[in-house]
Amino acid sequence: MAFFLNTIFGSLVSICITVLVTLAITLIFKTSYTTNFAQGVISAFGAFMAATLINKAGVSIWLSVPVGILLATAVAVFIDMVIFRRGRYVNAIGKQIITMGLMSIIIGAIPLVFSITKLERIEFPTFLSDVYTFNIGGGEVAITANAIVCVAITAVIVTAIFVLLKYSKWGLSVRATASNEFVAGMMGINTHIVTAISWGLAGALGALAACMYAGQTPLTSTFMTDYQVNAFLAGILGGFGSFYGPIIAAVIIPLANNLMMWIGGVANAPDLTTWTRVIVYGLILVVIFFKPNGLFGKRTAKKV
Amino acid sequence: MAKMFDKIFSRNKEVAVTKTRQKLMWYKGDLDRLDDEENTRKAGFVTRLQVRSNGKIKNAAFAACDKERYIDDVNTEKLKKFDIKLYMSYRAVNHATYKRLFALKAGKAKEKYNTEDSIWAAHFAALDEVKKKRADYIAKLDGVKKAFLDKYAATDKAAAESAYDAQKLALTAEHDAKIAEYDKKRAAWKEKRKKSLEEKIEKYTAKLDGLLQEVSADRATLPDDTVLSVSGLKMYFGGLKAVDDLTFDVKKGEIFGLIGPNGAGKTTVFNCITRFYNATGGDMLFCNKAGETVDLRRFKVHDVILQGISRTFQNVELVREISVIENLLVASTREIRSNLAVQALGLPVVKREEDILKARAMKILDFMGIATYANWLAMGLPYGILKKIEIARALMADATLIILDEPAAGLNDSETAELSLLIKRIRDEFGVTILLVEHDMKLVMSICDRICAISFGRMLGIGTPAEIQANKAVQEAYLGVDDASGAESEADEKTDGAEEEGEKK
Amino acid sequence: MNYFLLKQKGLFDTSQTPPRSQKVRRILTNPMFGFILFGVIMIVVGFLAKNKIVIPYSWGSALSLTLSYAIASVGFCLLMGYSGLASLGTGGFIGIGTYSAYYVMNAWGLPFILALALCVTVAIICGMIVGFISLRIEGIYLAILTLGLSEILRFVFQAVKDSISLSSFNLFGVIQISRTNAIYLVAVMFVIIMIITNNIINSPTGRAMLAMKNSTAAAQAMGISLMKYRLLAFVICTVYAALAGTLLMISVGYAKATDAMGFYAMITSLNILAAVVIGGAKSIWGTLVGTFIMYGLQRTLLNQVQFFIDNPVVITFISGILVVLVVMFYPGGLAQLAKELVGKIKKLISKIKAAKYGKDV
Repeated sequence: MAFFLNTIFGSLVSICITVLVTLAITLIFKTSYTTNFAQGVISAFGAFMAATLINKAGVSIWLSVPVGILLATAVAVFIDMVIFRRGRYVNAIGKQIITMGLMSIIIGAIPLVFSITKLERIEFPTFLSDVYTFNIGGGEVAITANAIVCVAITAVIVTAIFVLLKYSKWGLSVRATASNEFVAGMMGINTHIVTAISWGLAGALGALAACMYAGQTPLTSTFMTDYQVNAFLAGILGGFGSFYGPIIAAVIIPLANNLMMWIGGVANAPDLTTWTRVIVYGLILVVIFFKPNGLFGKRTAKKV
Repeated sequence: MAKMFDKIFSRNKEVAVTKTRQKLMWYKGDLDRLDDEENTRKAGFVTRLQVRSNGKIKNAAFAACDKERYIDDVNTEKLKKFDIKLYMSYRAVNHATYKRLFALKAGKAKEKYNTEDSIWAAHFAALDEVKKKRADYIAKLDGVKKAFLDKYAATDKAAAESAYDAQKLALTAEHDAKIAEYDKKRAAWKEKRKKSLEEKIEKYTAKLDGLLQEVSADRATLPDDTVLSVSGLKMYFGGLKAVDDLTFDVKKGEIFGLIGPNGAGKTTVFNCITRFYNATGGDMLFCNKAGETVDLRRFKVHDVILQGISRTFQNVELVREISVIENLLVASTREIRSNLAVQALGLPVVKREEDILKARAMKILDFMGIATYANWLAMGLPYGILKKIEIARALMADATLIILDEPAAGLNDSETAELSLLIKRIRDEFGVTILLVEHDMKLVMSICDRICAISFGRMLGIGTPAEIQANKAVQEAYLGVDDASGAESEADEKTDGAEEEGEKK
Repeated sequence: MNYFLLKQKGLFDTSQTPPRSQKVRRILTNPMFGFILFGVIMIVVGFLAKNKIVIPYSWGSALSLTLSYAIASVGFCLLMGYSGLASLGTGGFIGIGTYSAYYVMNAWGLPFILALALCVTVAIICGMIVGFISLRIEGIYLAILTLGLSEILRFVFQAVKDSISLSSFNLFGVIQISRTNAIYLVAVMFVIIMIITNNIINSPTGRAMLAMKNSTAAAQAMGISLMKYRLLAFVICTVYAALAGTLLMISVGYAKATDAMGFYAMITSLNILAAVVIGGAKSIWGTLVGTFIMYGLQRTLLNQVQFFIDNPVVITFISGILVVLVVMFYPGGLAQLAKELVGKIKKLISKIKAAKYGKDV
């Protein structure tokens, strides 16, 4: 039991990160109809800003992370306004490739902007370093303060965004744009502002996720790639048709990963832990194969 | 690879029958063409042999030939080429003079050419120069000729001729021997090939018989003159009854029209027949190319064409990136014999096969009157032409029933008139049956032998155009309750039909 | 000369056969000739680079790397430009090739041809799996799914053996192939692949694929089985990627599955996609140029400039900008640009002719 709880608590941060990145990717997918491959590097850009402030100027993490988030937001909005808006009538694959080009641009820009040499290892602190332990069912369960902070922040943000999407005027326009951009524009919704805000939000969410992840792993310009792929898969596993589907899938995927590890630990099969991700991804693919519109998506009739 | 795929994924007996029959036809064709192919192959062999022999005897022939005639020939040919070059010089001179004259008229002449005389003087001077060039070249050729003749003046002509004759005899004998050897070799090969083809034909005939016995048990029969029989067709989308209990027969060689207001379910019927939709209920029997009755519900979408049904689409669905004739070839993809490996290696078989199909496609394009566009890209052609190409593509599939989905949509009056003639001609020339959906009442009433009118998935009436025009239910569906004053007004008001429906409710 | 002569006094009348000049022209205009010429040039360049004559030594491996990737790109071009399907699984499929090369030739010590056989077999199976998936899922969703499949393959590689290497091997007992002279093998394979691809594109299969891309409904109505051709397209693409992997292993010599910028990472799939789009999705030569821009430019030409050696990231930056610009302003890629340029030059020539000789030339 304690071991199980430890596994769950251990995966809290990665669940938070996946949820944030998935939400970001879903926002952009819904308003710009593309999978944003540059999401990870935009987030990394913000994390690098925060890391520079912390390491070189000695600013506190609570101040430097918002600055990083602001920068990532600015970059994302800039990308939407300067590049994406002009390429609006490029086809779907073309859009994907534009984001891929942006990814190259930012990967190239990060070392130039933050003057980083290739071999430099960048440290990034966690929000809080305390660890709380308590006894449950005869075993010791540990939970880090960092995880609690991350969960709290994520919960607040995700709830806020969902409330906004459901009840605010902006949320309505996002949903209208997601349904049909052209018609939404004709109905008097300023789709430019909607997409710009979505991109900005996506950048902010991504940067926050990147700052959370940076405390656990060395910071590089492509360090968010794994989470980005997870988020894409969460998107189609939950179904891009809704907003909540991808989020639920984003909770399921890292949880499944850790549960797999837990089963491996219980069954005393170290092989299982090395094959964890293969099995989880394989399961995801099988599920998507049988439910092409995702777990929470609706079936649409095809027209000839 | 492709064959393997076929083997794995088509267990349908009916499809197997068609495919076996197709193979049988191919092998029979092979057997028929065997002699012709052998002859062409032999002609090629002989030509190659002749060219090689000519090369061998080249020197002897040159020694024995009439040197003066020879050099004259060579020089004439050279002069011809030179004249072609000179022609461009003449043109350049003329064009320069014209330009100068125009400049003079416009008052922008250069100082050198500010009078007409000076221009003409320059013109003639230039012409003289060109002429002089030619004279010089002729003089040069004469010099070459003289040198050539001098060089061979001392040679013994009689000896050269006898040497030539001796070599000629030897070569001819060699030539004949080689051809005889070739004949012998090929005859053996031909025998073998013939035998293997006959064996194959036997094998596939047996297979076909076996398959036919297997399938004939659950086959229904249609009357002789019926091509397609739809009975009790139902197509429900959830709660929506797009087609409900529709029954009609299409007779051989007729033009059958399906009409109805917007949203009546006409295209849905087509999609059921061509298997895009899996009908909720009902039977669709079809008399296929081989004259057998098959149940269309047993086929997948891409197998329907092999039975002899081809269709066009409401909005033109051509491949824009390839030429018109290649678009037609797409329809005969199932008739291509060479498999992927052969195609990937680019063996000459593929080209031979395509040439035969291209000839057929050309004939069809010629018939449709669009042969001039054969090698144009389909991308930029006008809509009327694209519509015709689509019909041509449907014809290319060698079908017995052609389904036209709104062929006149987007055409103007004269194009529609032309189309109605064309559809009749297609029926007469190719001996096909035509089933069409159309909004243009003028077209439908003028060309259809029989018409079936439907509304909201239910049949209103079936019969000749006159009967349909007189049918009360049809008039109500189209025009409301009042009487119609003929086809003319129906055509005019057909667009409002759906709206009126809505108002009435 | 003998042409005139034989008209007078030849043995047989062969005036019907085409003259030699026409035969030569037919050979020169055959697309096959272009491919073979390209291969010969590559082999010559590789030879010069190996012996450090005129051409820098590093070009040999750079070109063999580019050509290996170009094989994957050509397969992708067939998939995207002709079948209208998108895949982001190239990285994983390349891995199939590298691992079969490693296991067959290094670990088990068997000949090269068996490595090819193994990688083609595995690739066909993978391609069929993706093909089946593509029957149910389409568009961007399919792309993400293939990305997931590629990640699975990468995790499998990580779990099996993280880093692999291959130093040199004997090809048919004739020549010892190592990193330095891999370009010979790669160029030959590339030319074969180019010829095969060109044949497929111009064959009924290629047309069927194009029809499928334009409209699945019309294609099906014309008797084209979606399953057969989608499977075929994915199998071809996957086999090409796997072959590219085998050749990459030979020309690079090592591979590491956990490397974030390695062969199997997402970035490879994206780069191949970008190469095809930059070059023009329907042109083999364009694809080759695109791949050269993505992979070869930095390793050959730009590395001659000191500035780029000092700042290698600048190239990533510039290539990104290039990709964005090409997609936004030249959706047809460099192939379209080249076509437009040729059209303009032709127009210019006819204009000059008209000025000299008058119109109607």
